[in-house]
Amino acid sequence: MITIQLNGKQETLPPGSTVETLLPIIGSDGKSVAVVVNDHIVRPENRSSHLLQDGDHIEILVFAGGG
Amino acid sequence: MDSLQLGSYTFSSRLILGTGKFSNADVMLDAVRSSGTQLVTVALRRFNRDMAEDDLFGPLSAMEGITLMPNTSGASTAAEAVRAAHIARELSGSPFIKVEIHPNPQHLMPDPIETYEASRILAKEGFLVMPYISADPVLAKRLEEAGCASVMPLGSAIGSGQGLGTADMLSIIIRESRIPVIVDAGLRSPSEAAAAMEMGCSAVLVNSAVAAASNPPEMAAAFAGAVEAGRRAFNAGLMQRSGSAVATSPLTSFLGTGA
Repeated sequence: MITIQLNGKQETLPPGSTVETLLPIIGSDGKSVAVVVNDHIVRPENRSSHLLQDGDHIEILVFAGGG
Repeated sequence: MDSLQLGSYTFSSRLILGTGKFSNADVMLDAVRSSGTQLVTVALRRFNRDMAEDDLFGPLSAMEGITLMPNTSGASTAAEAVRAAHIARELSGSPFIKVEIHPNPQHLMPDPIETYEASRILAKEGFLVMPYISADPVLAKRLEEAGCASVMPLGSAIGSGQGLGTADMLSIIIRESRIPVIVDAGLRSPSEAAAAMEMGCSAVLVNSAVAAASNPPEMAAAFAGAVEAGRRAFNAGLMQRSGSAVATSPLTSFLGTGA
């Protein structure tokens, strides 16, 4: 297993996890979310090839109401 | 009413609406519709797996004629704001970014130094930068020179409803500015929005005044009417003030003069 920080919380994932396989685990359909791994944006077309590594810091962001 | 030009974008509405603090997404969307706005602000936040009603982007982007202007709220440095802008552009596809850097939650006053630095960088990268600033004419000019699409000085503190407390400084900014000046923050009533437009502001941005009204969609429509009235009045040219009365009717005596 690998350990990652997801939106500030520690999570464990099976080895070989990608950004694409992570999204359904947390209940996201992958639309309308931005994924940032170690301060780098992972664009939708790269999600299936982006392998997650032990110790990665992942931020998943959405738009919310704001002024 | 004449249109508002921001970068290569042309808007027929001069009312920009924020989407925060509404009781629910449906009320917010109704307010957006009845405001006639074409530019709405949104904020970035972490995806929350425990909340079902998370996605504002879907319904807003499905609305015809709406352009998103993400803000960098939550950033307390220029570097954080630049990072937020990149993420926001990835999500929205919109070149607009409201640079909003307020490190102190007590008063939410914008940090002029970090705001300037973030705006300079983002303008150079091709963003249409809309910085939220204090009503400071010197800073406004510097941001114009840095390539911002507009400046957005505050009328009073965010969410305070204290109105156009900065009117004197806003007048200077409007007079000196070659880019649109948009009053952002502090407005409570449509009459204040009309007053800002009569002064020559190019647009107003409201959020709390609509979201915290008893009937937000109705208040949004009221602001739309006020913004249009104020703009038309500005374009029509207000009369000069006079220190004394100036008669509008002939004062020639003809009653009881024994003629």
